[in-house]
Amino acid sequence: MPEAWRRGSVLLPGLSPLLSLGGALAARAAGVLTLLGLPLLILPLFAGRFFCWRLCPMGFAAETVSRINRRNTGWIRKIPFVGKGLALLILGSAAAGWPVLIWTDPLSVFNGFFAAARQPLTWLSAATASGFILILLASLIVPNLWCHRLCPLGGLQEWLSQLGKSLRSARCAKEGDEIPPLLTHARTGRRVFLGFALGGVSGSLYRAYAPRRVTTDTDCGGTHSCGGRHGHGPGEGEAGQRRRMGRGSGAGLPIRPPGAVQQAFNALCARCGNCMTACPYGLILPDLGTTGPDGLFTPVLAFRNLNPQQEQFCFQECTACTQACPTGALRPLTVARKQQTAIGLAHICRNKCIAWKKGEYCVVCQEFCPYQAIREVERNGVMCPIVDADKCRGCGACESQCPALPIAVTIRGRDPQTVLAHPSPALHT
Amino acid sequence: MWYLGSIQTNAGGARNPKGCKAVRLQEGTHMKPVKRRSFLKTGVTAAGTALVQTPLAAADAASPAATVIVVHGTDIPKMLEAGIAKLGGWQAFIRTGMDVVIKPNVAWNSKPEQGGNTHPDLVRACVLAAEKQGAATVSLPENTCHPEKATFQASGIAAALEGTRGRLYRPAKQDYGEAEIPKGKIVKRAFVPKDILNCDCLINMPVAKHHSGATLTLSMKNWMGSVSNEDRRAWHRDGLHQCIADINTFLRAKLVVIDATRIMLTKGPQGPGELAHPYEIILSTDPVAADAYAVTLFKKTPFDVPHVRIAHEMGIGCGDLAKIRVERVEA
Repeated sequence: MPEAWRRGSVLLPGLSPLLSLGGALAARAAGVLTLLGLPLLILPLFAGRFFCWRLCPMGFAAETVSRINRRNTGWIRKIPFVGKGLALLILGSAAAGWPVLIWTDPLSVFNGFFAAARQPLTWLSAATASGFILILLASLIVPNLWCHRLCPLGGLQEWLSQLGKSLRSARCAKEGDEIPPLLTHARTGRRVFLGFALGGVSGSLYRAYAPRRVTTDTDCGGTHSCGGRHGHGPGEGEAGQRRRMGRGSGAGLPIRPPGAVQQAFNALCARCGNCMTACPYGLILPDLGTTGPDGLFTPVLAFRNLNPQQEQFCFQECTACTQACPTGALRPLTVARKQQTAIGLAHICRNKCIAWKKGEYCVVCQEFCPYQAIREVERNGVMCPIVDADKCRGCGACESQCPALPIAVTIRGRDPQTVLAHPSPALHT
Repeated sequence: MWYLGSIQTNAGGARNPKGCKAVRLQEGTHMKPVKRRSFLKTGVTAAGTALVQTPLAAADAASPAATVIVVHGTDIPKMLEAGIAKLGGWQAFIRTGMDVVIKPNVAWNSKPEQGGNTHPDLVRACVLAAEKQGAATVSLPENTCHPEKATFQASGIAAALEGTRGRLYRPAKQDYGEAEIPKGKIVKRAFVPKDILNCDCLINMPVAKHHSGATLTLSMKNWMGSVSNEDRRAWHRDGLHQCIADINTFLRAKLVVIDATRIMLTKGPQGPGELAHPYEIILSTDPVAADAYAVTLFKKTPFDVPHVRIAHEMGIGCGDLAKIRVERVEA
């Protein structure tokens, strides 16, 4: 994907007020991207669903597919406008701090499809494209189903255009209106209120009963060498280690991109794939279940365990993903702040480490660590690595470069992400 | 010849399992006979002036010492010129129409004053000199450790090369060719940038600094910044110091220029660490001798660095300070 196109495409989801304004409402924080949502909040008051029928890329795709099937065009009348309710539900729950179903936004679904077009294409990276494909399938079965009945962004604009109409009609009310405007307004107002209230309740319920993250054995059963404080038990082989570490090197908490909010990340994340598109090193992948049942397709970092060829890491001077999030699930970070933020913690398995196990010169982990978080201890004349938890940011430089087979250094996520006091040596002022 | 190994070519460009096109010369044939001849002529001229000694001869004969030129000063381009003059001038190394490859150390996203990378002024001076000598191309392939864009920029080398024909780049997969290393004890083959395999004049231009894994990183270790990532990883597994010596049986620079204007004493290779400022550049045609001298700047003896000892024992060059003639120049 050309660089300019990639940077530009990141702005698209922010155009949806549901994501930008709803996200800001839920995260209680606004950024520059929040302003992107304003045009679509004002336009429908005057122009109705102009955006939907003229500009929306998801709508264009769904409408194009809808033209293929001419038979089921009548079905749509039997279906209520779910999208209008959905919009209220999202905004109501966002006000409660835990937005529900924010990922149904069409612009995030659309962007998710293109986030999957990053190289290299795998089943995993293609996961974010599933929403787009589902919408097209639905449009094929029941033409125009998405735009006319399901789309929450369409629903929001429908509400706003009704509001605009009634404001105008109140100003220059014509005689002979069949229904007195007051009554319609009252009915509409009641519905809007109920929708918001329902959203608020569901948001609060989500907060109260949010599924806890699935954590796989964070400190490897106690006898494993964590941070160098204790060694392996005598005679412990690979098999024992595998048993303790669950599914091999990927065990532990998932690693979130830097700047991830402490609470409600899964609720706030719209799965738009912006962070995945923005990452110049292709480190961010959609999660498939390690972050809990509500965390499907949320972004997690993978240095090596999911992509054995990956040789990049979360570069100390890059803040691309944090600047790209439309909802504020990732807070925008400055380079200085990013270098103080610990997203994970490196873990060296001494049973696999070339220096510890074989007594060979290595410490590539120390070589590559931008934060000087790997201390060396001399053992039989060879320098061996130890992780300094007060300095380790979990950037993955060590994991991405570890030459051991199987790999000896792995990063486990920090939840919540912590801000370290250790001044970053990598900061160029 | 700068590479001592026999090289074979695969004219059809058969693909090896790793997907790189194999570039090998048939044994006995030369890829660029004319240039090779001109190169040999250069070698003869240089030998005639008795300023350049082929290191193998030095190792075989054992008696004549290798020469190391140490230039002290503050104006880097001037220092380089003064050092080169002692080695017989640029014409001893670069002739019109040659493809020149310079291998600086530009691995890390760090600033010139931090001593993590070769000084940009030195690189620029060398590129300009090569252009002045009429080099056909000047390439600087570098397999950086940090993302290349940031690294080339922060190191100041991208800016230093502006207005020159020097092409600094990070080799992509297709830029590598597989090379056989017959004299290697552990490393038998490695992926080396094709520009290095095909060049007429190879100049090794490292920065002297501390290295956590290899004790120090000097000219011989610098080739690890050329080879592919797979090779780098494998070498760490297989015995780093022997592998460094092995690649030096194959990759042989015509000229070694070690930047010791400032040297990183701790936290290497990435830094930032403690710095010392010897204000020296070290020139030699023998990488082992150049490294052996550079080691002394760190208050160590050459054989404290295992790959220097191994290289000396393998006869790659002379690492014995007693047999090295150190010529000091002020510029």
